[in-house]
Amino acid sequence: MKISKVKIIEKEKIKDLLKEASQEWDVYVPQKFSDGDVWMDQLPEDRQLLDDALENVMLEDADTVISPKDIFFPQLETILKFKDDKILETPEFSQKLIFGIRSCDLKGILFSDDFYSRNFEDIYYKSRMQNRLIVVIGCLKPPRPACFCTSANTGPFAEEGFDLQLVDSGNSYFVETGSKKGQEFIDVHKKFFIESDENFDMTVKEIKIKAYDSIKLKVDFQEALNLMTQDSFIPEENYRRISERCIYCGGCLYVCPTCTCFNVFDNFNDKDKEGERLRNWDACVFEGYTREASGHNPRKEKWLRTARRYEHKLKFDYKLTGMSGCVACGRCLSSCPVNIGMSEFIQEITEKRKIM
Amino acid sequence: MSRVLTTCIYCGCGCGLYLVSDGKKLTGAYPSRNHPVSRGALCVKGWNSYEFSNDLNRLTSPLIKKDGKFILASWDEALELVVKKFKHYKDTFGSDSLAFLSSAKTTNEENFLMMKLARAVFKTNNIDHCARLCHASTIAGLSLAFGSGAMTNSINEFEDAEVILVTGSDTTAQHPLIGSRIINAVKDKGAKLIVIDPRRIQLADMAAIYAQPRCGTDVAWINGLIYVIIEENLYDRKFIEERTEGFSELKKVVEDYTPEFVEKITAIPKEKIIEAARLYAKARKSMIVYSMGITQHTTGVDNVASLANLAMVTGHIGFESTGVNPLRGQNNVQGSCDAGALPDVYSGYQKVTDENVKMKFEQAWNVEDLPSKIGLTVTEIISAAGDGKIKGLYIMGENPVISDPDSNHVRKCLSKVEFLVVQDIFLTDTAEYADVILPGAGFAEKDGTFTNTERRVERIRKVISPPGQAKADWEILCEIAGRTGYKGMDYKHPSEIMDEMASLTPVYGGINYDKLEPYGIQWPCPTKDHPGTPILHKEKFTKGKGTFTPRTYIQPAESTDDEYNFVLTTGRIYWHWHTRTMTNRTSTLERESPEPYVEMNYEDAQNLQIRDDQLIKVSSRRGSIILKVKAGNIVPKGTLFIPFHYREAAANILTILAVDPVAKIPEYKVCAVKVERI
Repeated sequence: MKISKVKIIEKEKIKDLLKEASQEWDVYVPQKFSDGDVWMDQLPEDRQLLDDALENVMLEDADTVISPKDIFFPQLETILKFKDDKILETPEFSQKLIFGIRSCDLKGILFSDDFYSRNFEDIYYKSRMQNRLIVVIGCLKPPRPACFCTSANTGPFAEEGFDLQLVDSGNSYFVETGSKKGQEFIDVHKKFFIESDENFDMTVKEIKIKAYDSIKLKVDFQEALNLMTQDSFIPEENYRRISERCIYCGGCLYVCPTCTCFNVFDNFNDKDKEGERLRNWDACVFEGYTREASGHNPRKEKWLRTARRYEHKLKFDYKLTGMSGCVACGRCLSSCPVNIGMSEFIQEITEKRKIM
Repeated sequence: MSRVLTTCIYCGCGCGLYLVSDGKKLTGAYPSRNHPVSRGALCVKGWNSYEFSNDLNRLTSPLIKKDGKFILASWDEALELVVKKFKHYKDTFGSDSLAFLSSAKTTNEENFLMMKLARAVFKTNNIDHCARLCHASTIAGLSLAFGSGAMTNSINEFEDAEVILVTGSDTTAQHPLIGSRIINAVKDKGAKLIVIDPRRIQLADMAAIYAQPRCGTDVAWINGLIYVIIEENLYDRKFIEERTEGFSELKKVVEDYTPEFVEKITAIPKEKIIEAARLYAKARKSMIVYSMGITQHTTGVDNVASLANLAMVTGHIGFESTGVNPLRGQNNVQGSCDAGALPDVYSGYQKVTDENVKMKFEQAWNVEDLPSKIGLTVTEIISAAGDGKIKGLYIMGENPVISDPDSNHVRKCLSKVEFLVVQDIFLTDTAEYADVILPGAGFAEKDGTFTNTERRVERIRKVISPPGQAKADWEILCEIAGRTGYKGMDYKHPSEIMDEMASLTPVYGGINYDKLEPYGIQWPCPTKDHPGTPILHKEKFTKGKGTFTPRTYIQPAESTDDEYNFVLTTGRIYWHWHTRTMTNRTSTLERESPEPYVEMNYEDAQNLQIRDDQLIKVSSRRGSIILKVKAGNIVPKGTLFIPFHYREAAANILTILAVDPVAKIPEYKVCAVKVERI
């Protein structure tokens, strides 16, 4: 049996690795902006700008407002252009290195991959995602107070689906290889990686256990799924209370790693007979989302629209795919102006108490 | 791609958001996690604020009207024509034959320049803007009482209030992030909410006390609350003695406003008056929130002054989570007032009639004879344009055909004015009447500052270039000034304009662009080392002692009669912004509410045999519109509500051109209409 050696990369080498990788890849990595906000942005091509951006790379404790889903499913995307009677489709194909996402976000990406190829093949999504390499960084502590990944088995470390995974050990990362593509990446950039014969299995395990224990927010996720998948279970009182509070910003859905709904519209200039067809993020809490052409709306009442979100994530997705549509990242709570969170909903229905 | 921190273009909350661009167009908008207002969240308009800038129907070139048609023109041609005409009118008919409407959608710097252009270059005080239509009564009323017409406290203080009185503000719809603070205070921290509003707004459902007064009866119920507070000895003697004047006059006026009397006028049950008075007065931290439901009346100043009386009588002002908090509507309507785009004041509310102020500006601007006669207001300017008294009218970023009362009158006046210049980003209904159209830049296409409702001066930043030949409004204004021969309006960057404004404006005195990083600063900020002012009137009022300004109840200008038997009140909805020129180009927002409608009570609909979604005709003495009915329980029996966003059935065809005698704000909130089935 071939014993694979443990790979290690020193933290101070990360910037150089990213710099080298950026020659071949479009590199997406969390970067801290001057006001402290962290965004998963593409590194710039311009040399000077690249050096500045690398200074702002922030892997640990990075609390990105939105999930990295927008790399494959942007908030606004041109899908075709038209002029007179000619149509030009505009899919995007670049080779992407997604460096430093969290295990919950990886789950979200895998969920979206499945969704966009399940019943139909979405060429715009597929073209953006097909040539990618994902490097996950496990969380030693929760980046957001609202994180509850251990309850949903979505973190703080990924078990599968990544190409590489970084395990933070102080001055360096242990690098776990999850795919052939990941191994190839290490081979190409081998000067940045150290190989060791020492057995670090226990060290890695300890790091992971400590990380697991750092997630303090616990909910009975499985019980929530069990309840929600019962057709007779309709927590109308909870839905009504949430809808009374909700101000319909759509934020919980816009930031959600597994929300895949979009709207299609044309931007058209009558004068020059040309324009674009675009799509942008949509959200199922909106009344117009299910309004029919007649004006009739099967989900007209606010609480029914609230119900749709929870049913979608915790019932229909789970029934259909065996995966929950919630990856327990807690972003819905972090971006809710009125403090409504999936974790709180789960607590309300499983612990039968009023929180929101 | 690039990602740039800027400030939202929609309401006065002033949320910090990041705009993303691909170099050519905007591709996204995201909330700032650390910004004190947005805190990782936005409302639906903010989340979708990236879309309208990209619209392919943006104005991209100057246009000159020839034989009734707009012809593409160069900047040279268009600007020369504007300058030639304006100079001609000034020389022939005098400076006051010109008028300028500035814009609360543009920056502080641009408003400052617009007033400089009007005053220093064309020597007229005929400059005003839409603040006249929203919070003119606030500036007048609160200045009278406190000496400053701005929100007294700050947005995040709502979460720590014990009692919040919301009146005439559909807060969750119009200032969603402030609405969210109120919801959190009530739901998470046990605050008690009093909502007094003719419409059953979202907040009404979580209110401890909800009352639905007749439209236009606000002075009566506010006096009623004060009556109960005095009667039951719930007033703050020490505060009144030490910090106010005129209490005995107030006492005398409110003495008639017994709960029984107030119930007769307002239809609010007397028990609720008593209960609300006790709740508001007994708590230590009580905040008043109001907006256009209070201000847009012929008694707008009276309403505002009465709320100030209520706060002072209980000493609920001058410390955390208290105060009188007008929510400013437009993203920069606070700033456009601060910058002096008003007919009676320079920046920082320095009066044009004050000789010393005049001399200061003359010296700074290197001009002589700045006008000291107070200029005309928005509605006066429009009427004077119709009368032929105003020959040249310059409108920047406003759409009075849809936004001003009595649209038919506005259209008539604009079609008569000799020379109309409209500077905007889209071809609006107002622009249709223009002789010259100048294409401006949107909020993502220029640098500058906005001032939000809590007086926070914040940066906006250039993310993309304006489309075609469009230019930033400040650049256009500078070019016009330059072409008249005036040398004092030549700037390389808006930061230089702010430096000038700061040097002439005591409340902005310490502000410069470096100081505004990253999330701005709240004025008054008089010196460079000043940390800004989250709470006004702390130790003393801006004017020294607070003044009680007692008012008696006066009926609205137009009452119902046998023929016009419904009260119409107008306003905004969550999904759209003002005259809808931006939000109808935003797919999600337009989809949510694509058509004009009128809210009617179920009972009225039943009595008139009108179904939900049925088209009906609503008429006032000024005009008629046809639109769909939404029957429900939001408005009480006998009252209708129409959002004013829709040009297809413009509510302002119906509204009345009756204004508050002091603030000159129109009474958008009350007029008499009739309903006909068609």
